[in-house]
Amino acid sequence: MPGIDECLLEAMRLPGALGASLVDWTSGLALGTVGDAPGGDHEASAAEAAELARLAAEQRAFAPGAAAAAEAGDAAGEAARPDPPVEDLIISNHDSYHLLRFVPTSFDSSVFLHLWLARADGNLALARIRLGEMAGRLVLG
Amino acid sequence: MTVVRTTPPPRLPVRNKTTADEPAATGLSPMLNRLAAERATGVLVRECGTLYLADGHVVHAESPLAPGLDVLLTTHGTLDAESWRQAADRADERHGAGRLLLDARRVTQGTLELCHLGALYDAAYFALAPSSAPGRFRYGTGHWLGPVRPVPVAAVERETLRRRELLHRIWPDPWADGAPLLRTALGAAPAVPPRQAAVLTLVDGARSAPDIARELGRPTFHTLVDVRRLTAAGLVAPHAPHAPHAPPSTPDPLPVVTDPDITLLKRLRDALEAL
Repeated sequence: MPGIDECLLEAMRLPGALGASLVDWTSGLALGTVGDAPGGDHEASAAEAAELARLAAEQRAFAPGAAAAAEAGDAAGEAARPDPPVEDLIISNHDSYHLLRFVPTSFDSSVFLHLWLARADGNLALARIRLGEMAGRLVLG
Repeated sequence: MTVVRTTPPPRLPVRNKTTADEPAATGLSPMLNRLAAERATGVLVRECGTLYLADGHVVHAESPLAPGLDVLLTTHGTLDAESWRQAADRADERHGAGRLLLDARRVTQGTLELCHLGALYDAAYFALAPSSAPGRFRYGTGHWLGPVRPVPVAAVERETLRRRELLHRIWPDPWADGAPLLRTALGAAPAVPPRQAAVLTLVDGARSAPDIARELGRPTFHTLVDVRRLTAAGLVAPHAPHAPHAPPSTPDPLPVVTDPDITLLKRLRDALEAL
């Protein structure tokens, strides 16, 4: 059963991984960090990535239907639907990728995994699949 | 040639690394910094909450304003209340409740760490709020939860300051933070994001933000972020007699003039008429 650090270290074993963190997108707090930070400061990059994640999780263009279900107090619908409906965000730079993966939890939370990947060595498709598995294992064991 | 001079834009704020790394610079609690420096173990009781220290690190925090770890874990059925109660009862100095829950496979390490950090930073935010009374420290007593994920004092202080600033940026008036909340009567309310909608449905004129947080099994700070957003959007308002009423101010009595300067008044009148 992995904890936060084990999960981040596992992410760092992916080819091309430069840095990884677990961030709360409501507060912008980095709950755990491993490796290098984009921009050199884990706390600052966590706060900035959190802004982006929050937008993706809240805007109806990206998360359709979620608002309506919550508004109606549809408990059954809410339980069946992962929160938020967005799975991950991918940002491509000229030399690196950022992969933001939302962590679905059975308790109330707003966290995502942030993986920073060198473009030359990284495999985006593999990283996306593996990060999704890690996000699941982080809370399910 | 006319040169148009404009005022230069204000410099963007840049966090000063050297001061940010010195916990003493934050000035949140000088006592807490001293305890961190001497790697103290014990309990710091402040006006709005309690911090538990072990070897100068924060291992747990509690506040009457923040839902406890048990609430975060049990509200949505991640852990059943009975398992929590059993672990709390059986916990001793060698086996903390956290360890017992993990060993019995009631929760996963990741779940426990996430909820624990959520509860810790949330309660610490209120515990470190400005207070009028000084804090008290008792050496040597740990917390029955046991160590889950200790956090340096400096990190807790930095995060608390950052959270204050975050709330202030969203909506600068803290009046709605503790008061019962009321939905403002708007014809057609604009759609709000799901997590804000969950808060909004519990706004009923009686519950305050900490009450809503407890009901949702969500940290109070996270609820405050949504409450301030909803307040800024004009959808929610504090349901309370606004602000402590200032005593009706008595109008300043008119100055008693015994010797009006008649000559000056006449000259003034003459000058005005001559215009």
